Amino acid sequence: MNMQLEGKVYPPYRLRPDRALAAKMLAGQGFAAAPKDVPPTYFIYLRGETRGVNLFTDLDIPRDRALQAGQRYEWFAPIGWDDEVEVTARIAKLTAKESKSGKLWFADIEFEYRLLPARTLALRELTRVVKRG
Amino acid sequence: MATLKPGDVIFDEARPGASREQLVQFSAGTEDPNPVHTDDDFAKRAGFATVLQQGPMTTAHFAMLLAARFGARLKTLDVTFTAPVFVGDALRLVAKVESVGDEIVCALAAHKPDGTQTARGTATIKP
Repeated sequence: MNMQLEGKVYPPYRLRPDRALAAKMLAGQGFAAAPKDVPPTYFIYLRGETRGVNLFTDLDIPRDRALQAGQRYEWFAPIGWDDEVEVTARIAKLTAKESKSGKLWFADIEFEYRLLPARTLALRELTRVVKRG
Repeated sequence: MATLKPGDVIFDEARPGASREQLVQFSAGTEDPNPVHTDDDFAKRAGFATVLQQGPMTTAHFAMLLAARFGARLKTLDVTFTAPVFVGDALRLVAKVESVGDEIVCALAAHKPDGTQTARGTATIKP
């Protein structure tokens, strides 16, 4: 893992919730109905990958060695269908550990979602990605 | 809404195992390009018996169940994945009140029918 990237802040990108993507999330969870509200975990780190936050490439985490260890969401203000948010990603912490099955690397990445145009903090997401040795 | 107290069960919900089609849908909906959720050969090369259910699907289940009950009073959700969930694995999702004070703290757990714990966590709710 590229440990020197700890602290890296990516250039912000913008997102609007998409009803079609939200409907697919819900269908994946087993719900056929169209989502009334933006699902609470609609905003997710994965959406950054095609918007310049190339975490797996930058951190050198091949997909076949990647796992996800956890997620944390902190909600500050509701985000509606018509809202636009500015998203800033930061590689908050990188750690390496020895386990019974070999070396593991942990990457904690923090995403802040701010409602535009006021840039009011609406959501903070922390995701922990693991690279298996 | 009745006053909550430590030990109260917020929900104890069974979720049927997600099908391959559901995993494909969830990956599409979250813009997740990882083939470990959709391609059996890739999952096997990565060391798994079959395709993995997405960890964020467990988070999404917890978030929706909590939001349905508490709406905007839901402040935080913290989930740690402790074991892989495979296609077709049913889950039991439980949220229990741990403490009540300036905020309500709930303990969360997800288990497979064989008892394997696949996730644990906490949620905090504004009283």
